[in-house]
Amino acid sequence: MRGARSPFRPRPSRWRGPVELLSFILYFLCAVLLVLSRIGHGLLVNARDDFVDLSAPLLEAASMPVILGRHALQRANSYADAFAEIDRLKAENEELKQWEWRAKSLEQKVEHLRLLLNAVDEPALHYVTGSVIADARGPFLRSALINLGRDNGVRIGYAVINGDGLVGRTVDAGASVARVLLLNDLNSRIPVLVGPAGVRALASGDNSAELRLDFLPDGAQVYPGDEVYTSGSDGVFPRGLHVGVVTGSPGAFKVRPHAELSSLDVVSVLYFDTPTLVTTDPPSIADPRALSASPDEAPPSSAPQPTVSNEPAPVEATVKQTIGSAEVAPPVEAVKQTIGGLEAAPPVDAAMKQTIGAAEAAPPVETAVKQTIGPAESSPPVEVPTQQ
Amino acid sequence: MSTLLPALSVLFAVIATAVPWGLPADATFILPLVVVMMVFCWRALPGVTLSPMVAMLLGLLTDIMSGGPLGFWALFALIGSSAGAYARALGAGREMAPLWFIWTVLAPGLTLFGWLLASAFFLRWVDWWPILVGAVASVALFPVVLKGLLWIERGNLGLRARETYRGRA
Repeated sequence: MRGARSPFRPRPSRWRGPVELLSFILYFLCAVLLVLSRIGHGLLVNARDDFVDLSAPLLEAASMPVILGRHALQRANSYADAFAEIDRLKAENEELKQWEWRAKSLEQKVEHLRLLLNAVDEPALHYVTGSVIADARGPFLRSALINLGRDNGVRIGYAVINGDGLVGRTVDAGASVARVLLLNDLNSRIPVLVGPAGVRALASGDNSAELRLDFLPDGAQVYPGDEVYTSGSDGVFPRGLHVGVVTGSPGAFKVRPHAELSSLDVVSVLYFDTPTLVTTDPPSIADPRALSASPDEAPPSSAPQPTVSNEPAPVEATVKQTIGSAEVAPPVEAVKQTIGGLEAAPPVDAAMKQTIGAAEAAPPVETAVKQTIGPAESSPPVEVPTQQ
Repeated sequence: MSTLLPALSVLFAVIATAVPWGLPADATFILPLVVVMMVFCWRALPGVTLSPMVAMLLGLLTDIMSGGPLGFWALFALIGSSAGAYARALGAGREMAPLWFIWTVLAPGLTLFGWLLASAFFLRWVDWWPILVGAVASVALFPVVLKGLLWIERGNLGLRARETYRGRA
């Protein structure tokens, strides 16, 4: 047939061999990168951290107009319904006054109980405040870049909060920036306590706006509207940080985070050293500059002083932490604090027995505990007050 | 037209993907897809230079900024680049309708592939809803993006005016 071209006849166009070879190489390179990324090759991770560190000023500059624009929009919206907002704030203020009274009352009660138990004071949570400079979200990841890094004492695994509650945790830390894995990320798993009964569960992110509530025990007393807060049993998050509220129905409970994860602005990083890292990472092996190394002293001297921050977010969280843990934490935590200096893991039970005056503790362990506690030899064991 | 301009415009879009816009969780797939769409358009427009290697590097930059696995958006950018080159070979020219049609066919396949790749990467089914929203939004946004790129290509950023002025002088 005239005009028809045989598929076997070479095309008259110029030879495209090099272009096709280059395309093939590039596709192959992408596949290799994906595989290396999957196995978490250290070289890639370090290169990415370094690049993000370098690009932080550019990202910060690019984010500034957007953040200012968002603030302006929020302000405009608040002007639009200023009268309704005033009424709402007045009502909220009244409610908060009642809460303030109740918190003070509970604080006194807790203080009294702690005195009775001779409980050691919980360490205060220090923090540093920064802002989100990049929003790194996609099909894989719900994360954010913040302008705080190792120079500010931030390490991998630190909890990140804002004024509303828990936001996530740091998963990468460069010199001046850190990446925060948000609560709703696919890889986020947080052990939580649910409701006034403190039912243990796991809040798992699935890249949607709400978290799944997994591993609830059968017959657990959980209801929509129950508060969800961190249990601290993973050793990564401190106990009692507010996460969100329960939504959904039995069998398909979800957690709606208090923090608005899609529009984060100012966040605070808590200097909470994970006990897991402290006990499992020998300082002789870990490089002091390594991201996973447990800091000898946190925060370092170059870090901004946490308590002088003008940002409003963390104060509430600190208060919540104190109140939350006091309400729900059994005295076991305080007992563990008492023996926190022990190197060996097993004596936890023995130390508890020692602290509550039990006599069954094995002699060598008991001696070790006495040596660690020091004045325990000269003082009688603490009596647990019993109801008459 | 400057050979740097297409790359710079895509770079601008890549940086825009990392800026905290405060978009809802369902809309997270849209901005990176706009980057791929821009690569596709630049490669499809006749007389415009954007090499596949530059396209891949821009995709890699999107990966770095997003914190996701390296190579994902680079692969997407490469696919967009190849599809754009194919559209150019088909003679789609600067016409809106054929280019939009090709993108409308390409976008669902691209996002389906992305969903499967993401699921394979994490060894679990990732949420498909944001990816679907991203695909639909990218098809809806295509005319706007193409108009914008044609506007840049015509020299409306001031390059042509300056060149004309120099020529007269």
